Amino acid sequence: MTVAPPSETLAPAAIAPPPRAARRGRIWLWLLSALVLVSLVRVLTGAHELTSSGTLRQALIAAIPIAMAGLGGLWSERTGIINIGLEGMMILGALGAGYFTYYYGIWIGLLGALLFGAIGGLIHALATVTFGVDHIVSGVAITIMATGVAAFLAEAYFSGLPGGGPTQSPTLDTPPTITVPGVSDWLLEVQSRHWFLVSDVASAMRALVWEMSVVTLLAVALVIGSGWLLWRTRFGLRLRSCGESPSAAETLGVNVYLYKFVAVTASGGFAGLGGAYLVLVASSGYQNGIVGGRGYIGLAANIFGNWRPGGLFMGSTLFGYTEGLHLRPGSGLSIHALLLLVAICLLVLAALQVRRAQMVPGAVSFVASVGFFAWFMLSDEIPADFTGMTPFVTTILVLALASQRLRVPATIGMSYRRGQAG
Amino acid sequence: MRRTVKITVALAAASLIATSCAQGDEGPEATQASEDICETAEGDGPQIGLAYDVGGRGDQSFNDSAYEGLKQAVEELDATCTEAEAGPGENDATREERLRTLADEGFDPIIGVGFIYSVAAQNVAKEPDYRDVNFAVVDGFAEAPNVANLVFAAQEGSFLVGAAAALKTEVGHVGFVGGVDGPLIQSFEAGFVAGVEEVDPSIQIDIKYLTQNQDEAVKGFENPPGGRAAANGMYESGADIVYHAAGKSGLGVFQAVESAGDGHWAIGVDSDQYKTVGQSQKPYILTSMLKRVDVGVQEYIKAVVEGDAPSGFVTYDLSSDGVGYSTTGGFVDDIAEQLDEYKQQIIDGGIKVPDTP
Repeated sequence: MTVAPPSETLAPAAIAPPPRAARRGRIWLWLLSALVLVSLVRVLTGAHELTSSGTLRQALIAAIPIAMAGLGGLWSERTGIINIGLEGMMILGALGAGYFTYYYGIWIGLLGALLFGAIGGLIHALATVTFGVDHIVSGVAITIMATGVAAFLAEAYFSGLPGGGPTQSPTLDTPPTITVPGVSDWLLEVQSRHWFLVSDVASAMRALVWEMSVVTLLAVALVIGSGWLLWRTRFGLRLRSCGESPSAAETLGVNVYLYKFVAVTASGGFAGLGGAYLVLVASSGYQNGIVGGRGYIGLAANIFGNWRPGGLFMGSTLFGYTEGLHLRPGSGLSIHALLLLVAICLLVLAALQVRRAQMVPGAVSFVASVGFFAWFMLSDEIPADFTGMTPFVTTILVLALASQRLRVPATIGMSYRRGQAG
Repeated sequence: MRRTVKITVALAAASLIATSCAQGDEGPEATQASEDICETAEGDGPQIGLAYDVGGRGDQSFNDSAYEGLKQAVEELDATCTEAEAGPGENDATREERLRTLADEGFDPIIGVGFIYSVAAQNVAKEPDYRDVNFAVVDGFAEAPNVANLVFAAQEGSFLVGAAAALKTEVGHVGFVGGVDGPLIQSFEAGFVAGVEEVDPSIQIDIKYLTQNQDEAVKGFENPPGGRAAANGMYESGADIVYHAAGKSGLGVFQAVESAGDGHWAIGVDSDQYKTVGQSQKPYILTSMLKRVDVGVQEYIKAVVEGDAPSGFVTYDLSSDGVGYSTTGGFVDDIAEQLDEYKQQIIDGGIKVPDTP
């Protein structure tokens, strides 16, 4: 995961970005303290599922499709085009993955998903860039259309195939996975001792060396690669300039339409890959409705991550983690333990706010912290009805706490006509 | 602008080609699958209307089973029929309109497949124009004199597969994956748990529902990644047999059992899923809880034709072979005797199976 520094030209001048090395160090410090905190909560509550390698692996599997959709959102929205059609492009990608994998194997299947998703992106680009259609209208239309097209093509492609049917593909091959033999068993051994911190680190490492799908690695590489391409190259600077000030970009000779077309088409391609991941790794066959709203969650992860690859990846893992935890055995206990975690986090936040002399927010955080702590102490388990809500509650909490710091690309959602600069 | 037009034309052409390829490639198979009793039937018997929920035919389970019943009835009675399918995001008003349209076209009886049609059928059946039309709702809860609710004692079939799981588990640990946490699926859970405990109360049972929200049918019943994650967790924590009542999400349970490998089993639901899963998954399907929607639909149609239309709740249970378990694959042959004994005890009333957990 890269943590890209704010771009030199576009960041508000008032907040001078700290040197990159210092930022890196601070982020590692945060991650380390988060790990210590989670481990502490695990040991105190005995909810060992919180950091078991099974949970972490499930979290990663649930996170990747969301991250891919979020990456699509990043590319598109960095050029100022809102892409609410990501959901539809994921659906198209899922279908493409199902069709091409069945006939031509996994790698062609991934390319097919990329292609189908990119077609969705191209249509969105055509509508929004060339014809100036409202971005939301076009995106919603694409999602509705993709649902219908996918259902129709699924019936045409998969009916009568062995194990398939009008709404689902036959079982497909699974992409190769990497397990480091020996090491993963040894790590499992350490994990099952439930030692403070050591076991958590072991299970996190085991989640990475045990049945790691190569497609997961590919997806992570795409996130890192996007960060590099968009923030470290001339192409990326021009692309982002189309979202911040297209008039200025055009005055300087950038072909704004072309960059928007490229970005939105790529956006569809990424979303398509997210759909393919659902079909090939998270499950092993196409199924109508398999995307189930993950495109929208990807969009939210992108906003959560402040339109940056590192941030959106962290947002996706957070969504993936709560979704995965909810489906693990004993989720009532582990989610109950999360209450304690939230209470401690709020307490830390309150302390920080008071130190910054923000008395009112500090007091609110403190009261909330006490409330969560009381809830934790007075109950033994969280009713199943609440566990399903966890991902969404977490999102609202985090967005509420972080929203003041978000910075949207300046011309997002606006239509740009060539020659507008005058 | 001219370039734009060119692009548009090119895209349109490309999509046409894609569609025609799709039809060209799959032509013979597609026709084979959509070989449709309602397109070919030309009898002068009764006209039967069947209305599906979203998804409709092709689930290799519930809806297909209803179609199977329809097909048999049509062939037997020389009838004609039509099928209607819901679109996404429908409400009771659109479902009512669908039932009215079918009735106006002269279809009688009209069968709604899925409890979702209950309210709509009840409202339409009470309207003056349709008081003479016979309606039925599979798994329904409608209340009107001319509506029959075809309900299945899923808890009794689940009891038997629960007993099978308890007899077959080697580690004393089994699991249940449900779709939506509501009364319908809870009856599966209750029966399964009762069956396991009847054999050995010390067996550990993991229970997991994919969603608690009644309105999230897609997340519950059409979510193979979720089913796979839930079942994975159970197998990893030591369970060796998992029963699912989660519609298409169950396909994820089968994927999980396949990757868990030898010594692990999954139990299917509604139809004999051994027959429909891929070749590589067959060795892991212990048995399936059968819910004979086809029997229910077929018998209901026959009763209507004979002028003896039922009303209220028509229950299909073990005694009428409306529920049961499958033996394809032969993995439960060694315990068939014990299972048949339990079956007899339930029929005789010796064992009362609860329908709520």
